Amino acid sequence: MKILDIEQIQKILPQRFPILMIDRVVHLETNKKVVALKNVTINESYFGGHFPGEPVMPGVMIIEAMAQAAIMLFYSPRPATPDKQAAYYLASIKARFLHPVFPGDQLKITVTPVKAISAAAIVNAVAEVDNKEVARAELVFSVKKS
Amino acid sequence: MQDIESEIRDIIAEIVEKDPAEITPEAKFFEDLGMDSMMALEILAAIEKKYKISIPEEKLMQLTTLKDTVAVARGYLNQNK
Repeated sequence: MKILDIEQIQKILPQRFPILMIDRVVHLETNKKVVALKNVTINESYFGGHFPGEPVMPGVMIIEAMAQAAIMLFYSPRPATPDKQAAYYLASIKARFLHPVFPGDQLKITVTPVKAISAAAIVNAVAEVDNKEVARAELVFSVKKS
Repeated sequence: MQDIESEIRDIIAEIVEKDPAEITPEAKFFEDLGMDSMMALEILAAIEKKYKISIPEEKLMQLTTLKDTVAVARGYLNQNK
């Protein structure tokens, strides 16, 4: 088990502003389970248009946060220098959005593997706000290492 | 009860979004059904879940037709008995 701060997260995830969607990792068991936090604030650029005067977090951004948490799931502390050249491609998503997410909410994203092979994986992800499930999804993605 | 071939045909049909009738035993997943490698992985995972078996990654390349997929699945089902 391990806790990662934003500096450590940025050593693993290739994403950067404005689409680095994980703020903290509170639980990390490589290949078994990741719990990550995303604090949603009114400063997120997408709230300007989604929707004017009525900010609701777009479902695709919740999926993006889940996908980034999924990358963490397969992060191995050894070797210490992660493969920064790896590219991640989403292949398929089955998702259900149960409650809207608003500025001020903290998304708690839990990702567990369904099936992993060397160059691809299927994972289950659940997003909660205040212990209430707001979205769940199954993500299929491939990893291309250069 | 459905036989394994029929059950696996339904799994494949759902993942490739085709009518089960199109999934003939000899139809080639990639050439005939427009499948890609990610779909093949989804099929493998769905079969593992349904039959509570574990199929190694090397077998993924053998999943090229319904007939071959059923043969692979049967191989691991029998091991569990």
